[in-house]
Amino acid sequence: MPGADKETDLSERIEAFLADLKRGGSGTGPLRGSGEMARETTALLRRITAQARWSSAGDLMEIIRNEGRRMTAAQPSETTVGNMVRRVLKIIREEYARSRGSSEETDQQESLHKLLTSGGLSEENFRQHFASLKANVIEAINELLTELEGTTDNIAMQALEHIHSNEVIMTIGRSRTVEAFLKDAARKRKFHVIVAECAPFCQGHEMATSLSKAGIETTVIADAAIFAVMSRVNKVIIGTQTVLANGGLRAVNGTHTLALAAKHHSTPLIVCAPMFKLSPQFPNEEEIFHKFVSPHEVLPFTEGEILSKVNVHCPVFDYVPPELITLFISNIGGNAPSYIYRLMSELYHPEDHEL
Amino acid sequence: MSSRGTKQKKGNVTNEQEEEDQPLQAVLIADSFNRRFFPISKDQPRALLPLANVAMIDYTLEFLTSTGVQETFVFCCWMSNKIKDHLLNSKWCRPTSPNVVHIITSDLYRSLGDVLRDVDAKTLVRNDFILVYGDVVSNIDVSQALQEHRHRRKVDKNISVMTMVFKESSPGHKSRCEEDDVIVAMDSKSKRVLHYQKTQGLKKLQFPMNIFQHGSDEFEIRHDLLDCHISICSPQVAELFTDNFDYQTRNDFVRGILVNEEILGNQIHLYVTNEGYGARVSNLQMYDSVSSDLVRRWVYPLTPEANFTDQRGQGCAHSRHNVYRGAGVSLGHGSQMEENVLIGRDTSIGANCHISNSIIGNYCTIGDNVVLDRAYIWNNVHISNKVKIHQSVVCDGVLVKEAVLLNKQCVLAYNVVIGPNMSLPEGTVVSMHHPEEEEDDDDDEFLSDDQVVGNSKDKTKQKAFNPAEVGSEGKGYIWKASLDEAEDEELAQCIWGLVLNPDPDSDSESEASDGSQDMGSRSVSPEMDDVKVFQLEVLGTLQRGEEENIGCDNLVLEINSLKYAYNITLKEVMQILTKVVLEYPFQQQGTKLSSSQYTVLLLPLLKKWSPVFKNYIKRAQDHLDCLSAVEELFLEQETHQTAMVKVLMNMYQLEILEEDAILKWFSAGATTDKSRQLRKNQGLQKFIQWLKEAEDESSEEGE
Repeated sequence: MPGADKETDLSERIEAFLADLKRGGSGTGPLRGSGEMARETTALLRRITAQARWSSAGDLMEIIRNEGRRMTAAQPSETTVGNMVRRVLKIIREEYARSRGSSEETDQQESLHKLLTSGGLSEENFRQHFASLKANVIEAINELLTELEGTTDNIAMQALEHIHSNEVIMTIGRSRTVEAFLKDAARKRKFHVIVAECAPFCQGHEMATSLSKAGIETTVIADAAIFAVMSRVNKVIIGTQTVLANGGLRAVNGTHTLALAAKHHSTPLIVCAPMFKLSPQFPNEEEIFHKFVSPHEVLPFTEGEILSKVNVHCPVFDYVPPELITLFISNIGGNAPSYIYRLMSELYHPEDHEL
Repeated sequence: MSSRGTKQKKGNVTNEQEEEDQPLQAVLIADSFNRRFFPISKDQPRALLPLANVAMIDYTLEFLTSTGVQETFVFCCWMSNKIKDHLLNSKWCRPTSPNVVHIITSDLYRSLGDVLRDVDAKTLVRNDFILVYGDVVSNIDVSQALQEHRHRRKVDKNISVMTMVFKESSPGHKSRCEEDDVIVAMDSKSKRVLHYQKTQGLKKLQFPMNIFQHGSDEFEIRHDLLDCHISICSPQVAELFTDNFDYQTRNDFVRGILVNEEILGNQIHLYVTNEGYGARVSNLQMYDSVSSDLVRRWVYPLTPEANFTDQRGQGCAHSRHNVYRGAGVSLGHGSQMEENVLIGRDTSIGANCHISNSIIGNYCTIGDNVVLDRAYIWNNVHISNKVKIHQSVVCDGVLVKEAVLLNKQCVLAYNVVIGPNMSLPEGTVVSMHHPEEEEDDDDDEFLSDDQVVGNSKDKTKQKAFNPAEVGSEGKGYIWKASLDEAEDEELAQCIWGLVLNPDPDSDSESEASDGSQDMGSRSVSPEMDDVKVFQLEVLGTLQRGEEENIGCDNLVLEINSLKYAYNITLKEVMQILTKVVLEYPFQQQGTKLSSSQYTVLLLPLLKKWSPVFKNYIKRAQDHLDCLSAVEELFLEQETHQTAMVKVLMNMYQLEILEEDAILKWFSAGATTDKSRQLRKNQGLQKFIQWLKEAEDESSEEGE
């Protein structure tokens, strides 16, 4: 039975992805870049759309929501996965609306009046069957994938507008987006980059090596020296793990220190974040916000007796409140933190915020 | 054995291309073959005991799966049905599992050796495999070790049979198991294990010198290693276990390989990592420390909130100070969860409790004003008000009544009831099984589940509970009171694993550890003993040879096999052989023989056994070694020095010794006064003179 084969193949793939997620990031933050994670999630969702059994948009949304819930539960700190699930759900809604012939605009602009009168878009509305829906959804997901492929380049392209000659730029840890951003600027301009090493994982060392290979003048400093060096810095450019719904950040440990120092010296803080990092999550959801990994990096296991006498913690992420951020640079242009709520409503359907 | 080896090699040549593609296999032994967890393991096999609310075997399987193992053979013996049920209901047996789990059960397994012999008999493994016990907790990435292992096997043509994974951790580390404390000598360049010894709390350790004499010039002797009990084995390992039916444990195997290294040409290597976590829950002490490491997130990503077993409702939330709360946990007013606390699903905790460093299972109820510190409370446990528990294990279904105090290292096994208003002294073990019953079925330890349960029911009816021991409403037998003092202490310590130098012939010790101990005591001075035993064996062989008129070829064969058995070098063989033959008349007739009698007796023997000598004495150096052995003997037997000339003469005539060698020996070797005196012996002088003349003559003739 080829159908059954397909289904076991699909569920095998999903299980493998879940297992990967669970084991993801054994210490040094995400093992793979979140860009790759986003692409893989989307590709898997496309496969689910193509291979799972469903007859109407409602069925498909239910399947994707279920799988999405499992994926986010597997690694709550990888918000990208949840974001991509929401994006796909949104795509299905749009395609369904288009197939039905109603315009997208009506769905998006829900006024208070409409909410009261119609009771919102209930699930029954997705029960209609359209033969072309599957192809359309897959087509739209393919477009999303192409968009994901180009995000880093799109962000890097804007580098020359923000980095000027002979500036001193500070960054922290290693972000692939920031790396591409700086390298792009270095093609035309000469500037100096100071990298905070970001202990205990010290991804900053890798970043510095990579930048200096590209011919950028680079200095590595200890995290404790951030404040001291800040007075010389013209701009702080950082990456982030997640952009939260309030415009705050969930970024690597030490970013809050950096942001406060930048605020004190009135140095602009620019965050390079592709749109797929935008998450409808708020910083007060404590359980899934933090991620503690093995304390090995802080106090090695090889230490003898002391380990039974102390508690060692090794958190990975920091929260940076939106007041400390000057500008977000995403693949669709620069935005102020106060504009994030608007982007959020464009990207995700309000009913999908909770998977 | 040799034919097997070659067969194996041939097979591997053809396999080499496929080697990369073949699925990685693992052998998981879901039985400890010892009784460290008694009486807890009487009701539940060790592999299923909860560790941070997840069965131990799940950690092992998760470890194997995450390292890329695609096929696992789980071997169970004790309570195999329970393990089977557990596995069939787990995510490992779902069709989507990347790791195919085969369950193999048999009541006949009594040791690791039996399992591996079965692996060989059923030819389950086709390639390198990972060997672990069902109670190993680890997140070490062994792919590096695996790669090194495969590389070595490719380069050295299957010489390396096993790579053991060790984790660096300095002495005094709480996760170091004292029983498994090892000292390892290794070659720093090739990572080859030269010597492997359990310290057993010994202050003084001896290393045989010969291990440092060959190979490279850099050695490491390490005591900062934690044995993770993860070994990467070549398929030959299973065969070697079949060939050597006396190997019971991995320890036997490692020692056996090291001792026989010269003959079989097998080597064992070491992989030392300082990243990741790996430990085996071999006793309650280790249970305590591994549990606390899990809660402190040392085994990340195998943390309690990760729910890696993918069981519904198992998930829990992690909040600061490493406090984990499952779904439906209720906490009373004023209760504190200080740090490193894990609370399972639907557990309710009363008011004003104080909980720290503890793990509480699912569906428990805990009353008011309870203090728990380092308590390991399993599922469905009821703890009443004002109970205090310190560093103890409380198993499923236990009822602890009001105001009970459990001091350190208490164990309440399944379904025990304790209290009210009493205090259990340190190290108390309470079980529903009567300790005497345990003695009864000592022999049929591996009986089926039902039989044991039926058995216990009868006994339970026979004996009443002692209210002084377990409280007025208590149910259960104290294992302490019914045994006499000495044994009791041993038991309590055994279960917590505090034993440093256990009595080797204690019954409660496991077979496995008994074996290791014997090995350990022998290892203190293996060389001396072996040489002596070898000498006796050679003597016996020769005696039999004379009595039964066995041919010289067969004698040589026997001596050769003895040589291998006792790990004797060729040089020693020759010296011992010479010595034995020359002493033979004394052995037979007593030491009061006169020189002439001695020679009369000896010469026919020499003639008879000359082929044996010729077999061993070939190179020039061999001749000198033989001569020095002769010299040594006659230095001891001063009265018979006159006989020496005759012996030498005879050996020369039988062409055992060459004249060049004798002359060389005569002119060189005099180092002590005695040997100088020996050389002044008239007969000897004459003999040498004669030899020299003979040489001149022959050389003249030659010209």
